[in-house]
Amino acid sequence: MAMVSHAGDGLDDLEDAQIVAASLRDPEKFGELFSRHASRLHAYIRRRLGSVLADDLVSETFAIAFRQRERYDGRADFSAWLWGIASNLIAKHHRHETRMYRAFARTGVDPAEDGVAERAGDRAEAAVLGPQLARALASLGTQERNAVLMLAWGELSYTEIATVLDLPLGTVKAKIHRARKKLRKALPLEMSDE
Amino acid sequence: MNELDALRRMRTVLAQEEHPERLAQRIDWQAAAKTALPPSRRGFKIPLMFAAATLAAGALVVYVQSDVVSGRSTAVVPQGNVLLVAATNAEKAPFGKYWHTKTIMGEINAVGPTVANHYKVDSRQGNEAYTDRNGMGVQMFVDFADVPLTAQDRKKWQAAGSPEWVPIPDPIGLGRVLKLDMSARNQSAQGWWMPTGDSFHGLTSTQIADLPTDPKALENVLLGLEGNWRAYSSKAEVEPIRALRGQERVRALSDVVTILLSKAPAPPAVRAAAWRVLAAQPGVQAAGRATDPLGRTGSVISLPLETTVPLGLFTAPQQLGKYHRQLIVNPDTGILLAIVDRVASPPRGRREIGSGDDGRPRVLEAKNMPDRFSRPGDLASYQAFEVAEWTNTPPPN
Repeated sequence: MAMVSHAGDGLDDLEDAQIVAASLRDPEKFGELFSRHASRLHAYIRRRLGSVLADDLVSETFAIAFRQRERYDGRADFSAWLWGIASNLIAKHHRHETRMYRAFARTGVDPAEDGVAERAGDRAEAAVLGPQLARALASLGTQERNAVLMLAWGELSYTEIATVLDLPLGTVKAKIHRARKKLRKALPLEMSDE
Repeated sequence: MNELDALRRMRTVLAQEEHPERLAQRIDWQAAAKTALPPSRRGFKIPLMFAAATLAAGALVVYVQSDVVSGRSTAVVPQGNVLLVAATNAEKAPFGKYWHTKTIMGEINAVGPTVANHYKVDSRQGNEAYTDRNGMGVQMFVDFADVPLTAQDRKKWQAAGSPEWVPIPDPIGLGRVLKLDMSARNQSAQGWWMPTGDSFHGLTSTQIADLPTDPKALENVLLGLEGNWRAYSSKAEVEPIRALRGQERVRALSDVVTILLSKAPAPPAVRAAAWRVLAAQPGVQAAGRATDPLGRTGSVISLPLETTVPLGLFTAPQQLGKYHRQLIVNPDTGILLAIVDRVASPPRGRREIGSGDDGRPRVLEAKNMPDRFSRPGDLASYQAFEVAEWTNTPPPN
């Protein structure tokens, strides 16, 4: 997991789990965990659901994690625990996410990129493949989509994904395999043959 | 390039990470944590990570009755009676430790080239949730295969060879083909229990518990709720519901009221007040009795809506038809059974909605709409609440 830390707050050398423990006495310390984990999580959620929902869901994820921090037992990585909460919040928007993929597939216009498109530079390639991938993504079940996008967009390892989703490693591999197969069908033949 | 590489090149603009301090300035998670739950109050034990649970195949299958599909209903009852009876009975409903809901949502798409040669497909998904009075809870998502809407639609689909993927046209006229997944392997739903969020149109569970039980006072609080309440607007504007006028205000207010009557853990007295707020809105009418998408009979309350798209998501119109929304209520229990959107006038003509991000002109055309062969009264989409009740039985763990 990527880390961003701040000098001078005395927390730099502490592991995430130690900060969670410290935050039980001093709730302010939990802010360090936001600094460490929010950027990457935010970028991932934004890529799946767009900018507006990303802000809301990151807020909600950290609020839930903070409220339930007593129950974090340190057995799994804090980041996996956090991503697990976020994954569930993302799943709550499964219908909206599917609609956006379908709209993208139908129209070639990605609703998730609404408002940020002006900043995009070279979008030619995305414009060609995006709608086809979006159509395939719309067809994936919640867990298949979670698993393959955590791999491709979240840059999590298979083991991390298994921890986040609390599934056996073999199940995660099978889900990703199935998802990739569906995505491959969406690509032009000359590309998927490579 | 393989499919993972292709995926990695998608939406790269959105993948850029922002500095945590910049995020912290915009995202006030601490306020969210504080408003959601005072530290002194405790909820039930949350299974933080739970093994994937598989629901029995068909456990939540929707049986659509012929009259919910056709929209026929009988025996008109005065509007005041139904809603006020529902309010009185909602107030008497038992309270409990957990608000438990099971929801099934569907959208109807026409498949086929002509009025004579088409069938309709119900594209579905669902969820189940338990929330305690402090806003702590668990929920599980349920995926369903898309299914033919009626027995007659099923026969036509079977006559076409029961295809797993069925094509539907591109409503914005760019010539792309969208497909619905009707493969049987998705019939068995899958999901896992995870913690829920605690925001219902911006209200937390504790705020909902403290809402006024006097209808006028409740309406006043709800009109002050800030959000993006437009069906479409060129920029995302945050404004209170009271800034809206006419039908737009009824739509936004009814969205919040129906959340209080369905997914939100509202105490019986607040639910009663919510029904009374709804009864006072212009254009809200009783429309007889009908069965809901799960086959349960209830009284119909009709709301005038021109569009059924979710609020706050779109920058341009998405539909060419006009719609109305029906709430199907069991007045004897004060429970909202379903929210059903019906075609009021089918899509007609075309409408240019400007260029998309790729510079290509977008045009909505009636011949490409999912409801292109629908008649007035036909089902367009729905949310059915299979369960919506207070219970003392804790969620499964």
